[in-house]
Amino acid sequence: MKNNLKVQRAIKDLTQEDLAKLLGVSRQTINSIEKNRYVPSTVLALKLSKVFEISVNAIFELENGD
Amino acid sequence: MKDICESERSKLQRWGKFQLPNTYKKIGWSIVIGTFLLMIAKKFVDEPTWVKPVLRNAMILGFLIVSISKEKIEDELMASLRATSYRLALIIGVLYALVQPYVTYAIESLLDPGNAELDNGYFQVLLYILLVQILFFNALKRSS
Repeated sequence: MKNNLKVQRAIKDLTQEDLAKLLGVSRQTINSIEKNRYVPSTVLALKLSKVFEISVNAIFELENGD
Repeated sequence: MKDICESERSKLQRWGKFQLPNTYKKIGWSIVIGTFLLMIAKKFVDEPTWVKPVLRNAMILGFLIVSISKEKIEDELMASLRATSYRLALIIGVLYALVQPYVTYAIESLLDPGNAELDNGYFQVLLYILLVQILFFNALKRSS
């Protein structure tokens, strides 16, 4: 699964640290999601969607093989 | 029956999430380092026979405290990494404990052929860990 979290973060002018604080997770978690090393839970995906005010599908996209 | 399953699930999930606060990590490492230094120090002095097993147990307890202490920010990534690390530790630990006595036996046979003994001292501990893991897994699966 790929995502455009980095782009969304740039649009909102948020650092990884800022976003992590808003979501109550570590900066490492945000970094791992952006690098596609970690797929977040539904709860965290929905929280991201709420912060960026867009749907989950606009942030995350399934890839071939998922 | 449904109520029993629900109660079983909530109890297991509550226990499954048990962790010590982050401050305990420092306490755990202090115990580990302290026992390690004492283990080195006792080589230079005569000590009673009970000291060695007590130090070993204290070190294991220290590592256990470190292992079950929370990170500064314990989020879902940490929970996922923790689950993976326990899974790997269980598999590698069991394989190590199975192979290690034979390696020791082979080395002892080469060095002192008459007195080599095959010691499977880890059998009960491994059996217990694996049985507990299988029982908990089945209980969680049944109630989820």
